[in-house]
Amino acid sequence: MASMMQPQIILLKEGTDTSQGKPQLISNINACMAVADVVRTTLGPRGMDKLIHDDKGNTTISNDGATIMKLLDVVHPAAKILVDIAKSQDSEVGDGTTTVVLLAGEFLKEAKPFIEDGVHPQNLIRSYRIASFMVDFLNSYPCSILHMNIYDLGAIEKIKELAVSIEGKSSDEKRSLLAKCAATTLSSKLIGGEKEFFASMVVDAVFAIGNDDRLNMIGIKKVPGGTMRDSFLVNGVAFKKTFSYAGFEQQPKKFLNPKILLLNIELELKSEKENAEIRLSDPLQYQSIVDAEWNIIYDKLDKCVQSGAKIVLSRLAIGDLATQYFADRDIFCAGRVAEDDLHRVAAATGGTVQTSVNNVIDEILGSCEVFEEKQVGGERFNIFSGCPSGQTATIVLRGGADQFIEEAERSLHDAIMIVRRAMKNSTVVAGGGAIDMELSRYLWQHARNIAGKSQLFINSYAKALEVIPRQLCDNAGFDATDVLNKLRQKHALAAGWSFAIYFKNKNKKSFSSEGALYGVDINTGGISDSFANFVWEPAVVKINAINAATEAACLILSVDETVKNPKSESAQGEAAGGMGRGRGGGMRGGRGRGMRRR
Amino acid sequence: MGLQAQPYGIQGMLKEGHKHLSGLDEAVVKNIDACKQLSTITRTSLGPNGMNKMVINHLDKLFVTSDTATIVNELEIQHPAAKILVLAGKAQQEEIGDGANLTVSFAGELLQGAEDLIRMGLHPSEIIIGYTKAINKVVEILEGLVEEGSDTMDVRNKDEVILRMKAAVASKQYGQESILCPLIADACIQVCPKNPVNFNVDNVRVAKLLGGGLHNCTTVRGMVLKGDTVGSIKRIEKAKVVVIAGGVDTTATETKGTVLIHSAEQLENYAKTEEAKVEELIKAVADSGAKVIVSGAAVGEMALHFCERYKLMVLKIASKFELRRFCRTTGAVALLKLGTVNPDDLGHVDSISVEEIGGARVTVVRNEEGGNSVTTVLLRGSTDSILDDLERAVDDGVNTYKALCRDSRIVPGAAATEIELARKLKEFSFTETGLDQYAIAKFAESFEMIPKTLAENAGLNAMEIISSLYADHASGNVKVGIDLEEGACKDVSTLNIWDLYVTKFHALKYAADAVCTVLRVDQIIMSKPAGGPGRREQAAMDED
Repeated sequence: MASMMQPQIILLKEGTDTSQGKPQLISNINACMAVADVVRTTLGPRGMDKLIHDDKGNTTISNDGATIMKLLDVVHPAAKILVDIAKSQDSEVGDGTTTVVLLAGEFLKEAKPFIEDGVHPQNLIRSYRIASFMVDFLNSYPCSILHMNIYDLGAIEKIKELAVSIEGKSSDEKRSLLAKCAATTLSSKLIGGEKEFFASMVVDAVFAIGNDDRLNMIGIKKVPGGTMRDSFLVNGVAFKKTFSYAGFEQQPKKFLNPKILLLNIELELKSEKENAEIRLSDPLQYQSIVDAEWNIIYDKLDKCVQSGAKIVLSRLAIGDLATQYFADRDIFCAGRVAEDDLHRVAAATGGTVQTSVNNVIDEILGSCEVFEEKQVGGERFNIFSGCPSGQTATIVLRGGADQFIEEAERSLHDAIMIVRRAMKNSTVVAGGGAIDMELSRYLWQHARNIAGKSQLFINSYAKALEVIPRQLCDNAGFDATDVLNKLRQKHALAAGWSFAIYFKNKNKKSFSSEGALYGVDINTGGISDSFANFVWEPAVVKINAINAATEAACLILSVDETVKNPKSESAQGEAAGGMGRGRGGGMRGGRGRGMRRR
Repeated sequence: MGLQAQPYGIQGMLKEGHKHLSGLDEAVVKNIDACKQLSTITRTSLGPNGMNKMVINHLDKLFVTSDTATIVNELEIQHPAAKILVLAGKAQQEEIGDGANLTVSFAGELLQGAEDLIRMGLHPSEIIIGYTKAINKVVEILEGLVEEGSDTMDVRNKDEVILRMKAAVASKQYGQESILCPLIADACIQVCPKNPVNFNVDNVRVAKLLGGGLHNCTTVRGMVLKGDTVGSIKRIEKAKVVVIAGGVDTTATETKGTVLIHSAEQLENYAKTEEAKVEELIKAVADSGAKVIVSGAAVGEMALHFCERYKLMVLKIASKFELRRFCRTTGAVALLKLGTVNPDDLGHVDSISVEEIGGARVTVVRNEEGGNSVTTVLLRGSTDSILDDLERAVDDGVNTYKALCRDSRIVPGAAATEIELARKLKEFSFTETGLDQYAIAKFAESFEMIPKTLAENAGLNAMEIISSLYADHASGNVKVGIDLEEGACKDVSTLNIWDLYVTKFHALKYAADAVCTVLRVDQIIMSKPAGGPGRREQAAMDED
């Protein structure tokens, strides 16, 4: 009897899944590596795009790491961390999302053999943190790499001018400099072929919004048709013509220096208040009520006209009565303007949005130099340009397929973010894997001074950094080993050395470090001076990417146990759909012991 | 039932389907096993080098943490005996806010010792007596280990605060405590009231923003609210604030009503009078000198229009708790609705500005003046799980501050105290004559678990460390602990690792109490789980 009654020890709820120890850690690493492998091939100018088809039948073609990671719908808890860092990189810097995932995956890959050999993960974590701090130190040193590059360039007369200007001297030179950064970002995207064209557009847009840089002040409008080259930048606001009533045709479509009235009310015949009711005892009064309603709307329209405004925009509907009334008085009107467009107009023209037409004073009217309605592709656009406060810009994107424009929009977003960051932290580093190689070399060299196990770990960290140039080569079809060896040799040259010495002496004049600037030359398949070739990226992108990747790698390494509680009823249905997709998408081969079954 | 033999004994008295377990082997040992399993889970998280656990709770939320209170909370422990341990951990978390892991892991170790003793032939009651004696002795010894001169401290001295907070924070975020501790200490000291005992944990807020890294973390004297301001004014300095708990809008009747209009004139004036009314209300606010309106509910479009006209900044804080904290920060009195504003009800801010941090827009409310208000620790990190974990570390740090405001005594950390307790307790056990001396000796041995786990988690040879610790302590060096960085034994006063006396005291006490409770159980009766999610209740706590 007693033996029959023997209960097993049930510590946790039924259905709870636990796994722990080394196999769990290894399987977490495998899952992350699988995810990194998905985005691996999108890195760099020769990176390939991914086509993602979701369950709703939407097709997305993208090269942007964050977009891909988001759409993958990863369910593995450890791999989710990689998605998180991609998102964080996207929100913090805007670009480098593929880099961050790739780096994290590579850090883990390098850690795997050590874990398998029985190294305690905490030792690895500590070394990785030290390495990341060193990299950080390198980047955030008062005379950061940018400055090093600047002074280095001091030898080369003509680039010297450029390099100084990033400090904020001349705005023209600053522009062309920032355009270089934008071009580097764009070169890895779908619209890479037109990178100069878009780069200058992006820089102009960012300059237009000025110091109070609010991202939503740059509007991106998409019009299918035409070619990429037909895209243009409006130094002000542009939006698609809204729905219009009869009488719209009679309105003038072009104004010079018009006054603009922005409204948040309906200019339509309608009941004044929902909860008001009219009760009449005398049928004769009926006409007076009808008249009163007309009076109210005419009164409103009259006030709009009297304000002196030539353009009336409203977030809400502007009815046919109002349209004709305005047409008679040579006033342009547009109703149902999207809210963010209206706010952008307000910011650009210096007006404020009114909820009442009473007491309209001159102060709240906006103005711009030119307003016109233009045909863009198959659409008509209302364009406000030459705005006084000039805090807005709108990019009208043209191109073939929908997916193409979507991807172009994402690419531009990245480029805009990059330029904004570069403006804020005016330090740039040499791209094309040059900075990664240099950091890697620095760490190798530094590791030699460390006694004990951590020397190995820092070396592996350094090795992981080399993944960026290696992947650039792989994606471009070059022999990675060959190129990497050339790069290593260049970076190890005496010139590279002076870089380290430089930090000690801060001797600007005698400084030269040709080797440190060499990166992968994507055009010839060899190596070249990235800095001289204008392959630049803001330092903040690299700093953030390395920080985030290290944090994520440390987090994953520090987990030794996963406990999964059974889902409660409400969460079950919701998550079930997502799981199937995640499995088919990113998780191929990532299923180890740690992978949750359901 | 027909063919089955008539149930006998206690089974006969219970409904069918009940489970009944009694006796040493069935009840006591099983309970101990369950508790041991629990403490094996938490154990690897002990100390600065502890590993994290990934816990996915029933709502599919992912936790990556080494904070025991969170782990056991999300684990949904089923076993009744193991639940006692969880409760002990929670009690510790609530009392001190730190040291939950010590409680659970140490209790597990004590139970392991008890199992050995039971197999040796001791009766649980003897073990309980021994353990009770031991814990009383431990408290006595612990008091003797308190660092001299630490009982009085200036809670506003940042260095001293950091000294005491470091161990607690380091156990959650090792390697980053040197960045976090000054932040937490700053925040705590800023909001510390005149009488430190009244320190309110709620006054230190945490704002988590994705992106950036730990180096970007800062403290803000005031609050950080997620989201933008409602109107177009995004920045204001040195302004008076009026807080409206209700919405800033025309007042509508709760009861459904209809406005009756009798003439054309009324219809025409209807909208105008409403507009005039709103303007009057907003103007009253503007006239009172306020520059900022904070609304607890929706802001009407018409009201917003006039706020813009009168250049008032409009802020919406939906959470009632946030609104209350905002009042505390600014010294404002929340008004129920718009109307005449009493100048005394106005609050003051040094600045309110909308800033973009890591892609998210946040409203930063600063109030440098007025000592006793709210301080926010702004945390940055690359993933949500990192941010959550950082938040827990900050919570622990703040709780430690609260504890040290009440009792600032410290004892050596890094397992130095534990080894000393083990040594002294063992000596004490030799003076006892009864069978309980075995229990006391076991209690002493259990302390070795702490240095052992610390060393194991750091990848060091535990046996070597413990023996050299004992050797040092025996030679009178009572402050020698483990230096995890170098993997050697060192005097903790040179390492500056100190634990709060109260944390240790409560953790050990709760652990011992929980263990005695578990040992007291000799019968488990489980009723048949009713339909739906099975629930097992524990009953019959017979006192021997």
